Amino acid sequence: MKDVSKLILEDGAVQNRSIYWDQDIYEQELEHIFARAWLFLAHESQLPNTGDFLTTRMGEDNVIVARQADGSIKAFINSCPHRGNVVCHADSGNAKAFTCAYHGWAFGLGGELVTVPLEHDAYYNAIERPRYAMHPVAKVESYKGLVFGTFDAGAPSLRDYLGDMAWYMDTFLDVPGGIELLGPPMKSILNCNWKVPTENFIADGYHVGWAHAAALKAIESPLSPLVGNQAYDVNTGLQVTTRGGHGFGVIWDAAAAIHPVGEAYAQWLAQRTPIMRERLGDWRAKFYNGHWDASIFPNCSFLYGTNTWKLWQPMGPHHIEVWTWTLVEKDMPDELKQMMVATNMMTFGTAGMLETDDGENMEQCTGSNRGWVTRRGKLFSGMGQVREGHHPELPGIVAKGIVCETSNRGFYRRWAQLMSGKSWDELAREPGNAADKREVA
Amino acid sequence: MNAPTHTPAPAKLRYVDRDTLFEVERFLIREARMLDEERFREWWQTQLAEDVHYVLPVREIRLRADQKPIGSNPGAFVFNDNYMMLDMRIRRLETGLVWMEDPRNYIRRFISNVDAAWADVDGEVDAWSNFIVYRNRRQRDETVVWGTKQCRLRKVDGEWKLTRRTILVDQRVVLDKNLYFFL
Ligand code: FES
Ligand SMILES: [Fe+2]
Repeated sequence: MKDVSKLILEDGAVQNRSIYWDQDIYEQELEHIFARAWLFLAHESQLPNTGDFLTTRMGEDNVIVARQADGSIKAFINSCPHRGNVVCHADSGNAKAFTCAYHGWAFGLGGELVTVPLEHDAYYNAIERPRYAMHPVAKVESYKGLVFGTFDAGAPSLRDYLGDMAWYMDTFLDVPGGIELLGPPMKSILNCNWKVPTENFIADGYHVGWAHAAALKAIESPLSPLVGNQAYDVNTGLQVTTRGGHGFGVIWDAAAAIHPVGEAYAQWLAQRTPIMRERLGDWRAKFYNGHWDASIFPNCSFLYGTNTWKLWQPMGPHHIEVWTWTLVEKDMPDELKQMMVATNMMTFGTAGMLETDDGENMEQCTGSNRGWVTRRGKLFSGMGQVREGHHPELPGIVAKGIVCETSNRGFYRRWAQLMSGKSWDELAREPGNAADKREVA
Repeated sequence: MNAPTHTPAPAKLRYVDRDTLFEVERFLIREARMLDEERFREWWQTQLAEDVHYVLPVREIRLRADQKPIGSNPGAFVFNDNYMMLDMRIRRLETGLVWMEDPRNYIRRFISNVDAAWADVDGEVDAWSNFIVYRNRRQRDETVVWGTKQCRLRKVDGEWKLTRRTILVDQRVVLDKNLYFFL
C-alpha cells in the first residue's frame, strides 16, 4: 500500500502528481474510496413504481438499483452469481425479475435467486438458493430524495457521511415539493483522472474567467465581467469545505447568472425566497439565490443555479465517463423545467458551451503526468490558505470569495485520510487542520 | 421547447423527383463542406430558416419491450436549439477565445444514403441521410461519430433552408470528449 503521507502534503495544499496517473494508486482508490464511501445512485423520482430499475456503477462495479414492492430501494451488483454474466443490459426500465441470458437463473427485484432451470433434474434440489443471491450493496439510503449506496456495512449513516454539507444542501433540497433529476443522463468520455473534474467543481472559481472567457462573452451573463480574470471582488461569495471532503463555492445573487434567458428563473427564485427564508433562515435564503459549484466526495458534482448534476465515473486512472442530469424543483412549471434542461444542455451538457472548455483542460492536466519525470513532480493548490477558518454562523471551514482553493484542500485531506486505510472510527477521531483554529478573515 | 421525436418513414411516401433529390443532396453536401471549412456564420445565415429546430436526443439503452420513443423524455437532449441558440454557439466560436480550437481541430463530415420525400406541408421535403464525422486534433487525438439525421427543408425564394433537424448518434456513451460541432 502506498504511503499517502508522501502524496498529499502541507495540509492538502500540495499533491504528488502520481495520484493522477499511477495504476496502483488507482487500485487503492477503488478499494479504500469507492468500495467504502457513499456513492450517488439515483434520485427517487427516477424510480417511481415497483419494479422500476436503472443500472449504474459504483467505482467500476456494475450495479442495478430497483424499487421494491414495499417501496424501498435496493441495489446489488449486476453480475450473475452462477458464472458471472452481466444480468441487465438496459439503462433503465421496469421489471418483475432479472433473468440471466447465459443459463436462465432469474433474480427478484431485491437480487434474490428465484428461478433455477433444471433445479430438480440437474441440481437434485441441492442448491441453497439464498447463498446465490446477487451481491448486495451493503447500505442504500436516501437523503431528501437523493439515493446513495455504499459497499461498506461499517460506513457511517448517509446523513453523517454528508455531515455539514447536508446543512448547506438543504438550501435546495428542502424546497416545497422537493427536487427531481431529469434524464436519462447524457454520457460522454474524457481522458482524465476522476479527481480532476471533482476538484474543478468543488473549488475552481479561478478558471471561470479564463477558461470560459469565450462562453461568458457569448452568453452575456452577469458573470461576463470575470472574462480574462481582469478584476475580482472577494465579497461576491464564499468557499466552504466540510469535514468529509465535500465542498462548494457560492456567488451571491447569481443563481440565474448563466441562463441565456434567465428572467423566468429569477422570478421563480424571488417568489420562493420568502418561503425558504421562513423554512431555513436568512443565510440559506441567501444561498438559495446564489450560484454554486460543488462536489460531494468522492465523484459527484453539481452546479446549483445552472442546475447540472454530474457523476464522474472512473474507468481507470486516466479515463472517466461523464454522466449529466438536470436538477429542477418539482414544483416548477413545466415550461421553466424545460428551460432549466435547455440551459444545462447549452452550458454543461455534452455539447455545452462551458463543458467543452473544461474537458480540454481536464484531459491535458491528466495526460501531462504520463512523463516519468513530470509524474514525480508536485502540484499546488494553496490559494487563500492563510485566510480561511471558522465562521461564526456557518459550519465547515469558510473562506471569502470563490476564487480560492479551500475546498480543494478539504477534498485532498479527506482523500488522504481514506487512502490511509484507517477505520471510520479512527477517521472520526482525526484532528482537524490548521484552519480549524482560525477565524475566517 | 418540446423536441420532435425521430419517426421512421411512413410506408407510403411521395418520393421527390430526380431534380429535387439532386438539390437536396447538394444542400446537405454543401452544408457539410461549409462546416468543415469553419464557415459557421455563413451556414447560419444561408442554410437555416429562422424557425429552425435543431435536436439531438440522448439515446438510452432499453429493452425491446420498452417502447417509449427516443427523445420522448423531456430531460434528455444534447442539442435542442433554436435559431438564437445556434447563433450563441457560433458567437462563442467567433470570440477567438476558445482555447480548445486553437490550434484548430480538423473535422471531416461524410454524408451518405440521402433520400427525400414530399412532406405534408406544401413546398417542404423530408430528407434522410447518414453521416460519419471524423475529428483529429492535437498530436494524435482522433474520434469518429456515426449517425443519421432527418431534416425538414423548405424552399424560400428559390433556396432550400433547414427548418428542422433531428440527429441520432449511434452511441449511448458519446465516444468523444464533447459534441461541440454541428452535424
Ligand atoms: S451465468 Fe447467469 S445463469 Fe449462468
Ligand atoms: Fe469550468
